Amino acid sequence: MKICVCIKHVPDTAANIKLAGEQGFEDSECKFVVNPYDEYGLEESVSLVEKNGGEVVVVTVGKEAATATIRSAMAMGAHRAILVKTEGQFLDSALTCKALKAAIEKDGTPDIIFTGKGSVDTEGFQTQYRLAAALGIPVVNEVSKLTVDGSKAVMERETGSGEREVVEMTLPGIIGATKGLNEPRYPKFPDIMKAKKKPIDVIPLSDLGIDEGAGKSVLVKLEATPERSGAKMLEGSVTEQVAQLVKILKEEEKVI
Amino acid sequence: MPSIPYLFTVEMDTIFHIRGWLNAGHDRLILDILIQTVLTKLKRSYDSLNLKNHYGGINFERIVVILRISPRNLSHYKQRRKRVNFDLTKEQEMIRREVRKFALKEIEPIAGELDENEQFSSDLTRKMGDIGLFGMFVSEKYDGQAMDYLSYIIAVEEIARIDGSQAATIAAGNSLGIGPLYYFGSEEQKKKYLPPLCRGEALWGFGLTEPTAGSDAGGSKTTAVPDGDDWIINGSKIFITNAACEMTLGVTVQAITGTRANGKPEYTCFIVEKGTPGFKAVPMHKKMMWRASNTAELYFDNVRVPKENILGKQGDGFHQMLKTLDGGRLSIGSMGLGGAQGAYDLALKYAKERKQFGQPISKFQAVAFKLADCAMEIECARNLLYKACWLRNEKRPFEKEAAMAKLYCSELMGRVANHAVQIHGGYGLMKEYNVERFYRDQKLLDIGEGTSEVQRIVISRYIGC
Repeated sequence: MKICVCIKHVPDTAANIKLAGEQGFEDSECKFVVNPYDEYGLEESVSLVEKNGGEVVVVTVGKEAATATIRSAMAMGAHRAILVKTEGQFLDSALTCKALKAAIEKDGTPDIIFTGKGSVDTEGFQTQYRLAAALGIPVVNEVSKLTVDGSKAVMERETGSGEREVVEMTLPGIIGATKGLNEPRYPKFPDIMKAKKKPIDVIPLSDLGIDEGAGKSVLVKLEATPERSGAKMLEGSVTEQVAQLVKILKEEEKVI
Repeated sequence: MPSIPYLFTVEMDTIFHIRGWLNAGHDRLILDILIQTVLTKLKRSYDSLNLKNHYGGINFERIVVILRISPRNLSHYKQRRKRVNFDLTKEQEMIRREVRKFALKEIEPIAGELDENEQFSSDLTRKMGDIGLFGMFVSEKYDGQAMDYLSYIIAVEEIARIDGSQAATIAAGNSLGIGPLYYFGSEEQKKKYLPPLCRGEALWGFGLTEPTAGSDAGGSKTTAVPDGDDWIINGSKIFITNAACEMTLGVTVQAITGTRANGKPEYTCFIVEKGTPGFKAVPMHKKMMWRASNTAELYFDNVRVPKENILGKQGDGFHQMLKTLDGGRLSIGSMGLGGAQGAYDLALKYAKERKQFGQPISKFQAVAFKLADCAMEIECARNLLYKACWLRNEKRPFEKEAAMAKLYCSELMGRVANHAVQIHGGYGLMKEYNVERFYRDQKLLDIGEGTSEVQRIVISRYIGC
């Protein structure tokens, strides 16, 4: 069984992001991690391969610095990796999927492709769908339970209202992992050492015939989230507070 | 336009970086990796800089041949690498990241509760064993993790940054439990005891301190006398970490076995397994600090062990104890450093959130300067401790630096924890805010594995006083 896991190199959600210019951020001091949703996909791939044999290939589109993130994925059990190297921090979703498709096809089509349900940095939520369309294979997103049986995958997915759908999909297909699918393991120290020796195939984006500047969408400007203004505490009895609140909503905020 | 020799030098430097984590035994392998990497990198630079126009074609195959047949080049470049370099290896960075992740997720949520209930958690200890926190510097032959000493120190530091008790379990487990067995044990002893300890399934104690013998080892009273092929041990030990919990497999105990030519007692270390008749380990309670780590009093009442249980040779006990404590100092240092970092993290976060007089208190010079001092001293401590570890890794004398690092890091944590509680104000005195736990946990570091006063004696002797 061959499984590809698409992994994005994203800033830690706890990291302090400093903007650099209009369209970028300071990434030299910022801590990066494996996109947390991708990590569920990675854990699932590794445990599937531990059970059934085969290999787990990490596919990443990103800057060269993403190799550190790839090594973390390898310490968790991925066997090898392909890094499609970009120069910029942000790549249009359409181009990202074109790059993933090219890299995956070049390597040989896998039985399953895992992605996260979305990335925690740009939150585009497009990769799995675009990639499935490009490869002409089915996709199920937000999967929180999975059973693989030969060339069939049976999955449970969250539908958003607390309900769960049970979906059957013929493989090869794409699975968008989400919280609940598993509990990602901590890498063991010897595996961290072994990860260093696992191969990473670095392919410049241009080698795949893709022009980094040819994206259909362009990031115009990044802005820091404005700091929250101070909350106003109302005082007095409940009746007085309600009266004050109505007054504020009417006269100051002008929402009523 | 960089010249070829320049590029070559740069690439060789990068490659010797790799060497840091490879053992000497892998020379052949290193050579092959070197050649591969040099070649790829050179080719890439060569292509990207269009050097062909300047230098014409280069026969890369020839470079391979030259590299293969002249290992002297290697030692030459190895020497060059010994200049100052403050970078950690990628693996060390990764260990820091992974241990931090583990500590935040598995330890932080329960640390306060375990401390409050004075409860040692076998469950958590096994989890720490699972990721490889025990036997970090032990060879894979005994199920160790075969990492460098600094990686171990970084791991302890990151655990201590969250909780002193768990760091104590790890540090004592490695430096005092596993260390002496690994460094001084016979092949049979190592094969028998190390694997479960390194897998984190069991713990081992190191019995040194006695009720009447702390800094003054001469006050010890525990004795062992030969009886046929056996030895009979009598006496007691106190403040022994990891020695009386359900995971404890046994202890190494130091006993007087005679008198040396100079009239001083002869010491020998013995392995005593749990369950040996006459051996009793009793947990000690009502501790001020490290409340979630296991501390024991050991009693030996005519405990009979075979002579095969001698660690190393008869009479080696004193030397073994000194060597063990030298290494132990580095791990206590890392607990001080990690604890200081943890208390500082809490203080900085709180200072940025807490508002008084209309602004975060971190904007007031009185608070900001305290935090600046903490940040500066933590940086100093880390450099001192890591240098001592580096000396040890290089197999160079590190005893003076180890004493300095132990002393500085321990006392630093005291200063930082004190500032951190002060910055928290009244809340700092309450258990919910965790910072008081750092304040309490610190005090042990001034006392355990050689008091601050003893460290000053050691340092003053090294500088020739």
